[in-house]
Amino acid sequence: MQISYKPGNGLLYSLNPMIKGAIAFSAIVFFSLNTLGLVAMTAITAVMLLVSRLSGVELGDIFMSVRRILLLLAIVGLIQGFGAEGFSLVDACAAMIRILGVFLVAGVYVTVSSQSELTFFWEACFRPLGLIGFPAREFALVMVIAVRFFPVILGEIDRIRMAQVARGAKLDGGGLLASAAALMPLMIPTLTQAIIRAGELAIAMEARGYRVSAQRTRYQRFRFGIVDLFAILIPVMLLAYLLRPFFYTAG
Amino acid sequence: MIVFDQVSFWYKDLTETSFRLKEVSFSLAKGCINGIIGGNGSGKSTVARLMTGLMPVNSGTVTVFGKDPYHQLLHSGFLAGIIFQNPENQIVGATVEEDLAFGLENLGLSHAEMHCRIIETAARFGLGSLLREPVANLSGGQKQLLCIASVMVMEPAWVIFDEPTSHLDPWSRIDFWKIIDEFVHHHDLGVVIVSQLAEDLARYERILGFSSGSLLFQGSREEFKQAGAEIHEHFNYPEEWKYEQLLAAEHA
Amino acid sequence: MLERLELKDLTVRYGRNILLKNLCGSFSRRQINLVVGRAGSGKSTLLRVLAGFHKEYEGSVLADGQVFEPSGNISLAFQNPEALFFNGTVAEEVGYALKMRKMSAREIEPIARQWLQKWGLDPDRCWLNHPLELSGGEKRRLALAACTVFLPPVVLLDEPLAGLDAQGQRDLISLLSGMATDHIVIVVTHEPELLLEQSGSLLYLHADGCKSLKPAEFLRLALADSSFFPLPEWYRYAVRHFAQSSDLPNLRADDVYRFVKTRERMHADQL
Ligand SMILES: Nc1ncnc2c1ncn2[C@@H]1O[C@H](COP(=O)(O)OP(=O)(O)OP(=O)(O)O)[C@@H](O)[C@H]1O
Ligand SMILES: Nc1ncnc2c1ncn2[C@@H]1O[C@H](COP(=O)(O)OP(=O)(O)OP(=O)(O)O)[C@@H](O)[C@H]1O
Ligand SMILES: [Mg+2]
Ligand SMILES: [Mg+2]
Repeated sequence: MQISYKPGNGLLYSLNPMIKGAIAFSAIVFFSLNTLGLVAMTAITAVMLLVSRLSGVELGDIFMSVRRILLLLAIVGLIQGFGAEGFSLVDACAAMIRILGVFLVAGVYVTVSSQSELTFFWEACFRPLGLIGFPAREFALVMVIAVRFFPVILGEIDRIRMAQVARGAKLDGGGLLASAAALMPLMIPTLTQAIIRAGELAIAMEARGYRVSAQRTRYQRFRFGIVDLFAILIPVMLLAYLLRPFFYTAG
Repeated sequence: MIVFDQVSFWYKDLTETSFRLKEVSFSLAKGCINGIIGGNGSGKSTVARLMTGLMPVNSGTVTVFGKDPYHQLLHSGFLAGIIFQNPENQIVGATVEEDLAFGLENLGLSHAEMHCRIIETAARFGLGSLLREPVANLSGGQKQLLCIASVMVMEPAWVIFDEPTSHLDPWSRIDFWKIIDEFVHHHDLGVVIVSQLAEDLARYERILGFSSGSLLFQGSREEFKQAGAEIHEHFNYPEEWKYEQLLAAEHA
Repeated sequence: MLERLELKDLTVRYGRNILLKNLCGSFSRRQINLVVGRAGSGKSTLLRVLAGFHKEYEGSVLADGQVFEPSGNISLAFQNPEALFFNGTVAEEVGYALKMRKMSAREIEPIARQWLQKWGLDPDRCWLNHPLELSGGEKRRLALAACTVFLPPVVLLDEPLAGLDAQGQRDLISLLSGMATDHIVIVVTHEPELLLEQSGSLLYLHADGCKSLKPAEFLRLALADSSFFPLPEWYRYAVRHFAQSSDLPNLRADDVYRFVKTRERMHADQL
């Protein structure tokens, strides 16, 4: 159960990749910075999940991979929960929902965006940098490979567990911590492998005529529809809300 | 024409026991099915990668259409397409359609042209109903078909197939060979096919046989049949030919 | 020692899609159990069910009448050998399963070397190589060695023949027939003809229903209808007059030749 692109036709799918990307990134910033309070944040998360569900996103897979960050969530909750007046459950939950929100937004974004949409978004984002001599296309290549490997690397722990079980290891590793400890010695080989694999993928792309300097065309045509016109309001509003302190000081 | 002239090659550091391609010379032409055979680790995939210019040779020269494929690949695109041995590490797109489109986008084709070629190729390889399928959901054989289709859709002048049939089911193998036959003999496609399957060997028209980095045999199918047991023992000699020999011996 | 694995009304799904429906069949010791079928018919998925990796299924898998507990009792050599590797050297890769069984490094090395040798990899040459820097066939051999070295009760092999050269195929056949005396060996393959002689049962997966067949039945069905399974042309042609016989030969030239000659002689005698 990896988080990766699952084709669909729902509302979120049909958005222009630029809008999709803008919403995702402003929402990630919103969730990670914001302090609207537990109730409001939970409500926003719920609305987001509802919209995703209505767009045909299988939330099951995303929830399954929340397991992988449970440990992180618990630690953050504990640290943030302890304030001046002892442990506050509300603070702990608020901290956890922030991380959870970021994770869920990223998960939904990756599920509804195909490879070419992600490339399109990144290339467009880097294009202005290209004007000032930044190697924008090279960077986009790195991004393409990174995106291709995002699910692979997320799934790497699962793959290794599976490869171990496939050779007779017992599944019950004794809880999350124990299994994390058991994986530690494998960090370096896993990294080496990921590098070899990424190298192979780059070679495979080159063998199909991908050259960083070449002019490419695009198969998918991304239109800008009525929905996008409304959807654009979301990142605009989120950003306006986040930048509000600056307006106050300016005014 | 693909020409190898006194080509030597080794990976990273050369030691007593490590693999070395030993001064290999041959030339392959379009118009017939060129096959490469040899045991595991004999250097077939290495030769395939050198043909497409993915690695520079250590000595000697490789030319495709008179040009050096390694320099060509760096500067202006490839001379020969390649389908790698492992279907898993060469799929670039997230869906079947995206992967088919990837090479075409690199060629800079128009949307209409791409669409046309994708539909046609997908139908030819029986992937028509899977176009929107995420590649992670494909079976081993479906992945291998996709890899083949994704290179063929680019219509290169030469295609190097590294064990293209190893994960195909027997039904698809028959279809694969029909397609190859048609492209080689009617569409001027140059092919080099690496395979371990005896039934594939029986279809080659020209054969290069490798053993531990040396070219042990080169010649036509008939020459290979006549080559004698000391050559045959290195390769997967087809049962079909053995049966023919038994029948021929009876008539003699 | 396990005697039999039984599939009882196994229905396997991916989400809402039903892949295998009410599958029944069994796998036993003293033979190589083959699984064949078209691309996408669910062979790899079936092995993943048996290994406990794929959980979307109804029905049951029984081991000698008890519910089968795969964890710790199986090895599964994936269709893609690279998916199995997670160590930095060939040595660690073969040794992993033994290390898990609490053997000491000194005990492991000779066994690991011996198993590499058995599967046709020269341990002196590749002992410290990175598994991903082997050739395709060498990766397959390493994966097979790593999956069999610890002698699990149930051995599941997904396309073990893919990429193996002629010698590798012979090694595989003799090693597996040897292992089959004490282990349940299940092999998914597109080249069943190479293993028919050693196999006692063959599970044929198909969207319109699955069949459990004896090798001879399989050959007869395939001869009668090439869309059931396309046997090579030369074989179909050689035995075309005897397609109904119950003792069809395996797809080896001398077997076929002997078979055809005896049949022709019998036929001539009758006239
Ligand atoms: N990336 C690499 N780095 C170092 N050595 C390599 C690398 N790739 C292959 N080799 C070695 O080079 C030799 C030849 O490999 P090659 O892949 O060409 O064999 P092959 O003929 O294709 O074999 P197979 O039938 O098993 O695919 C092998 O012994 C292998 O171990
Ligand atoms: N994760 C998945 N989600 C949905 N469908 C899947 C998934 N994995 C596989 N499938 C589908 O299930 C079917 C069976 O796949 P499987 O890998 O078991 O086939 P196979 O019989 O092993 O084929 P091959 O001979 O090509 O390896 C395929 O049609 C495939 O598209
Ligand atoms: Mg190879
Ligand atoms: Mg499979």
